[in-house]
Amino acid sequence: MNQHKFKHIFSIRLNFLFGAIIFIFFILLIKIFYLQVIKFENYSALAKNNSLKVIPIAPIRGQILDRNGEILAENKLIYTLEINPKNENNLKTIKQKLSDIVEITKYDIKKYNKILSESYYSSTLPIKINLTNIQVAKFIANQYKYPEIYLKQKFARFYPKGKSGAHFIGYLNRINKKDMKELKKLNRLESYRGLDHIGKTGIEYFYENRLHGKPGYKTIEVDVNNQVIRTVSTIHPQHGKDIILNINYKIQKVAEKAFGKYKGAMVALNPNNGEVLSYVSQPSFDSNLFINGIDETNWRKLNDSVHKPLINRVVSGIYPPGSTLKPFVALAALENNIRRPPFSIIDKGFYNMPNQSKTFKDWKKGGHGEVDLIKAIAVSCDTFFYGLGVELGIPKLNNVLKRFGFGKKTNIDMPNEKKGLIASAEWKKRNYNKKWYQGETAITAIGQGYTQTTPIQLALATAKLINPNKNLRPHLLKESSTSNYMQDRIDNSINTNDLDLVKKGMSLVTKEGGTAAFIGKTSSYNMSAKTGTAQVFGLKKGEVYDESKLPDKLKDHALFIAFAPSEDPKLVIAIVVENGGHGGSTAGPIAKKVFDAYLNEHN
Amino acid sequence: MNKFIFSKFFKNIDKILMSLLLCLMLIGLITLASASHQNVSLIGNQIINILIGITLLILLSHINPKRFLFYAPYLYIASLILLLLVAFFGFESHGAKRWINIIFFNLQPSEIIKITIPLMLAWLYHRCQNNIGYKIHTIAFIILAIPCLIILKQPDLGTAILIGFSGWTIIFLAGLSSRIMMVTGFSFFLALPYLWSTLHLYQQNRILSLIDPGRDPLGTGYHSIQSMIAIGSGGFLGKGWSYGGQTQLNFLPETSTDFIFSVYGEEFGLIGIITIFIIYFFILFRCVVMAQKMQNTFSRLAAASLVFTLFFSSFVNIAMVSGLLPIVGAPLPFISYGGTSMVVSLIMIGIIMSLHSHKSLIAN
Repeated sequence: MNQHKFKHIFSIRLNFLFGAIIFIFFILLIKIFYLQVIKFENYSALAKNNSLKVIPIAPIRGQILDRNGEILAENKLIYTLEINPKNENNLKTIKQKLSDIVEITKYDIKKYNKILSESYYSSTLPIKINLTNIQVAKFIANQYKYPEIYLKQKFARFYPKGKSGAHFIGYLNRINKKDMKELKKLNRLESYRGLDHIGKTGIEYFYENRLHGKPGYKTIEVDVNNQVIRTVSTIHPQHGKDIILNINYKIQKVAEKAFGKYKGAMVALNPNNGEVLSYVSQPSFDSNLFINGIDETNWRKLNDSVHKPLINRVVSGIYPPGSTLKPFVALAALENNIRRPPFSIIDKGFYNMPNQSKTFKDWKKGGHGEVDLIKAIAVSCDTFFYGLGVELGIPKLNNVLKRFGFGKKTNIDMPNEKKGLIASAEWKKRNYNKKWYQGETAITAIGQGYTQTTPIQLALATAKLINPNKNLRPHLLKESSTSNYMQDRIDNSINTNDLDLVKKGMSLVTKEGGTAAFIGKTSSYNMSAKTGTAQVFGLKKGEVYDESKLPDKLKDHALFIAFAPSEDPKLVIAIVVENGGHGGSTAGPIAKKVFDAYLNEHN
Repeated sequence: MNKFIFSKFFKNIDKILMSLLLCLMLIGLITLASASHQNVSLIGNQIINILIGITLLILLSHINPKRFLFYAPYLYIASLILLLLVAFFGFESHGAKRWINIIFFNLQPSEIIKITIPLMLAWLYHRCQNNIGYKIHTIAFIILAIPCLIILKQPDLGTAILIGFSGWTIIFLAGLSSRIMMVTGFSFFLALPYLWSTLHLYQQNRILSLIDPGRDPLGTGYHSIQSMIAIGSGGFLGKGWSYGGQTQLNFLPETSTDFIFSVYGEEFGLIGIITIFIIYFFILFRCVVMAQKMQNTFSRLAAASLVFTLFFSSFVNIAMVSGLLPIVGAPLPFISYGGTSMVVSLIMIGIIMSLHSHKSLIAN
């Protein structure tokens, strides 16, 4: 190969390589253009995802207070021991290491793993909740030994009154899968980031949205090891609003004490505006047990108890009204101009159904003698009301019951309210496909039929005796906006004169000869009331009801509705004492103690 | 008098080429300052590397190419011995034995071979320039294959390919018939499955993760993905010096060395990259012009091969960080942090300048 030819080939090939290099760099430029211009948005987002983390800041839940500022639910500062889930934690080693200070139980580890599986981004997670002061002090003194364990302060729900008022206050519990689904449906899941508790019952449930608040967010920049470099932005949380209730805790305490060991429910209303001043459901439970997930032993104890402490009896307890229904039955009669005084009967202790051989007994052997409508209420004469019911007929009776709110929800601000029942011929046909008998009308008139009420319905109906034309709604939340609602007048077309006759009968209940006369004797004010006794089981033919011989759970329920002072009622009370026997003797004294305390405070 | 000595000292320096390189190295230093989180000692080290390199460049530019020609076989044999020493006595870094400790500094013989192979092959073709034929091409191929295989065993796939390429350019420029080139290219293609099986598992993974980086985002594909995120999120104008989140928050690996171009791309954007490419173009253009003007076989082949080696290295590095090639661990000449890479690159330029300024001193 000669030099010239060689140089020629070299020159061409050098230029070729020059072009080739330019070509491959041009390809590089296309790729970079693709990355930086065409895919810019995409890679920008990826870069941000890499380094920006959003941490929710939990809002502080609102407190629940009674009308005088007494705290019923608050947030207590607790200490927790936490570990960073990003480290490789050996829980056994940690348990071992901490054994001098605090015992990490199986339950704690189970809980930790549960939180770990459910949590979003979080720096540390609790391994031990609610340390005692001594444990905190011990930990701080030995902190150098545990560089991987952090002591943290947190707010946790606390119910200072424990068992007292537990049913209306309600409780928080950890958010479970069902709650998550619900929140997702309501599009509120975002509001629970960084939180693991939600109201489950009572006010805590009903006013969840107000109490809860809105979480804030902190956007932080982290490096490749998830170490925080800086805070980019912070949106502060909106803390939950405090809830002030109409409950007067002093009265609540008196009422709960008066109940003693009895089971049952009591509700006290202001008849002029529907404010719930006291709300008792017995037996009760300690709400604090639920906060961090109730343990199995306690849950079994509460859930399996025959006394059903978890049932909120005021709104969910369904009872036959017994004789407490009589004032409303009387009103129905007067409205239809039946048995209006001075009409009277001679009661011999039983009632014979017209054209039938069937006989209904009065509660008093031998009867009450001459009885008019007013006396029939005062002495709770069954004979008078059997006849009244039969003459009136069930549709006209139910018409008045409906207007007093029986058979429908009162719409009190509590979850799980039951409707109760107004029994009628149509109802029986629909549910049992059976004919309605006249005798059933007779026993419905004394409150022993199928008709059933909740304690809150009884209280509302009693309040309507005082303010028949006010659109009353019982409510626990003390709030001025409801006053609009209060001025909302409805026409119940109740004749005032008829009402006065019924109220006169009720005022005589606590007077000499009345069914609760012994209560009136020691009172410094006039109380109007109606006692009631609801049979828990039917007596077989020929059997005699003997309270002292019956086991407790078969004893009659004692009922009592009352308002005082009679001239200017300030408080309405409805009480059911389960298996309490006669209404006047067990439920009456409870009501009196509550009236005493309340009227004393307001004079 | 002083001025005379001064100008004599620099007389063999091509001013155009030198100023372009200084621009490139300045860009490199600025990027390094950000990539290293303003680590002063690192920047100081790099400046020292540059100064050593430039000093060697100037000294080499005064050496008569006759000496390169004379020493080329010895240098080649010496660098082969160094490579073998690494194989037996070198220490491992990042899972590959590439380094050998020579008293003061760690030397990477696979970098040195980048210089000695072009010189050796240019020597061969110069010596046999009157009867260049298949026999000579075969000898050239063997000279090239020995160090390539040793480096492949280190294992350092990137450098092996790079050196293979630089040798191949000489054989190509020396006039190997294009038919043979095509046949070898085709047989290489056929041999691919076998070559694939000889690759280490991590090398195979790198290639696979290039095809689909999302296949194992926290494993092999991680570096590639993070690098593409860095470049892509830089956009048209870049995020600004020291404002590259990928770099500053350490999502990007090896920011000072292999991935420095990603840092540059993230912080200076497409505009910055186009600037570098323009500088590259002029450097290449200048070098090609210089090589075209050279008067003898040794100079032409050595100069051209050295230039293309530098550009092929640059291409491999940029292609790797922008996701076109697997991550093979190759520095970016004149920009990446590292003594060997910087000094070797400047020595290459020094040799080119010597070959350029001593046109007539080797008789044909």
